[in-house]
Amino acid sequence: MDKIKNVIKSGSQTLQVKFAIYNAISKSFIILAFMALLPLIIEKIVYDHIDKRLQARSEKVLKIIHKGGIDDIVLEQDCSFESYSILKEEFVAIYPITNLSDTINGISIANESRNIEGEQLVHRILTLSFIYDNQNYKLEIGEGISSIDQLKSTIKKFSLWMMLGVILISIFLDFAFVRILLQPFNKIINTKLKPVPAPINFDFTPIPSTTHEFNQLDNRINEMMHKLQDTFQLEKEFISNVSHELQTPISILQNRLENIIVSENVSDEILIRLSESQKTLSRMSRIIKALLLISKIENDQYLKTDQVNISELLDEVIDELEDRIAHKNIHIVKRFYQEAVITDCNKALLHNMFFNIINNAIKYNNHEGEIIVTTRNINNQLIVEIEDNGIGMEQGQIPYIFDRFKRLNKSTAEGFGLGLPIVKTIAGFHKISIDVTSQPDKGTCFKCTFENKETI
Amino acid sequence: MNVLIVEDEKSISHEMEIYLTRQNFNCDVAFNGKSASDKINATNYDFILLDLGLPDMDGLDLLKESKKNGIEGAFIVLTARGEVEDKIAGLDLGADDYIAKPFSLAELHSRMQAILRRKHGLKSNTMSIGDFEIDIQNRTVHCNGELVNITKKEFDLLHYLGLHKNRVLTRIQLTEHIWGDVLEDDYESNYIDVHVKNLRKKLVAHGNIDWLETVRGVGYRVNI
Repeated sequence: MDKIKNVIKSGSQTLQVKFAIYNAISKSFIILAFMALLPLIIEKIVYDHIDKRLQARSEKVLKIIHKGGIDDIVLEQDCSFESYSILKEEFVAIYPITNLSDTINGISIANESRNIEGEQLVHRILTLSFIYDNQNYKLEIGEGISSIDQLKSTIKKFSLWMMLGVILISIFLDFAFVRILLQPFNKIINTKLKPVPAPINFDFTPIPSTTHEFNQLDNRINEMMHKLQDTFQLEKEFISNVSHELQTPISILQNRLENIIVSENVSDEILIRLSESQKTLSRMSRIIKALLLISKIENDQYLKTDQVNISELLDEVIDELEDRIAHKNIHIVKRFYQEAVITDCNKALLHNMFFNIINNAIKYNNHEGEIIVTTRNINNQLIVEIEDNGIGMEQGQIPYIFDRFKRLNKSTAEGFGLGLPIVKTIAGFHKISIDVTSQPDKGTCFKCTFENKETI
Repeated sequence: MNVLIVEDEKSISHEMEIYLTRQNFNCDVAFNGKSASDKINATNYDFILLDLGLPDMDGLDLLKESKKNGIEGAFIVLTARGEVEDKIAGLDLGADDYIAKPFSLAELHSRMQAILRRKHGLKSNTMSIGDFEIDIQNRTVHCNGELVNITKKEFDLLHYLGLHKNRVLTRIQLTEHIWGDVLEDDYESNYIDVHVKNLRKKLVAHGNIDWLETVRGVGYRVNI
């Protein structure tokens, strides 16, 4: 499971965050584009309005002229007329055209800057020609557009704030929606892809969802987990059955060898070879016993009903190993926390586990070496540390020491590589996490943390 | 001593029969629960060596039934299951001992001797080898009244060799007796040789140990 964890990149983000970021970026783009186009749109709309107004006015002026004659309006000598509103925002002007080339076909509307009574003003001016009394006239109707810029900036400001508000609300809504949408997905990840000690612990509860893809995903994961569990179970059963079946022939051979060894007419040479065969058979028998032990623990065939004082248990184990410790002249330091009591455990298995760890600490120690065995209570969690100053191992070897049938150290070539897998299995059964640290020629430390907080 | 071997695997019961007959036991064999039950009720056995996995019934039921019928023989449960639950169940139902397959015949024999001592209160709880007196009850060794200071494993070793005197015990037999329940990685260890070497050193300081022989390439023997 640890290997899977390592594959997940540390910099990766959740889908929800990605959706939110995508939404924010895409909306910002849309709004930026809108803000860029906004002045043009406003201008277009405003000019359209002004143009319509100017046309209506021009029609009105022409109507007045046709009804009442031009003379009423054109009073001045040169027969021209100019009228400005007080603020010079609007004006109407009529000029007689003397030069025919000045005549305009239809209507033209354009912006022009004019100097009106010493003031430079920009107007939108509608220009058209008309004939009255065989005289060509030019009509100009203008409207000031200085207010347009003001309008533009006001609308811009208003729409900017509104857009920002809309973006914020929509991001928030998106975030909430995506969250609801992804809920089943997150649930699938949190329940189905959660690391479990063994396939037996898989959770097959269907995750309800109204999204078709999530249902499909959940179903497929469940199917695959079932397959995995079945395969795992078959493998376990196979190992268990094979080991079990092999015990009878081993029993027969073992007993037969014993009988031949004690019979009187066996030569010394044959006796040596028989005892060698016994050794080989014993090796086979131990491998099978170890495999059976592991598969029985994995199949939950052991009870966890004991209450054990771990410090006392460690004392027992050290006591049992006293000859080996004495043989290497190893100094044992015990730093025991006396109330290290664990409930709901299997004493025989824990004994086996600590025996293997301490035995290794002896085996891979130097003559006159030291082993420090510590029990501590940290935050109501029992921690057992077994530290030696022996030959140690390379950092790269540590992840593999619990693998079955792995032989890393040349000096253990005679072993069958199941001692530490047994330790790992027993630890897993008791929810004990084991951390191993080691340095070549410095020593090794096994730190066992009891996750079960039921110490009393 | 009458022994009934209840074991459906004929090769195993045959080897047990050979070994125990050589140890002067009168052996009878039953291959299934039915015939075992008949034999137990008909003959007064000192030992019933009972395999749990019988073809026609559960060995534990046979044990229960026999105990109910007041059978006095000592029951040793033999099982390939080796499960803790079986062990507890077997002992609770009145089995005198339990031994997991595959087991060593020498181990079985020493267990039978231990039961005999316990049940029939053998004259004394001591065994003498040469000048040495082994107190099985208190697990001590004396030589001419002086206490010999040996470790637990060394005591087990000496006691086991003494139980099988005049017969060679191989290193594997000794290893399995001393480290029986422990599944060790290091099957070829020379721990037995180290134990014997240390034991010799401690014993020789008190008396003659010519009786403790090394059988080269095989194991050790107490020769008296």
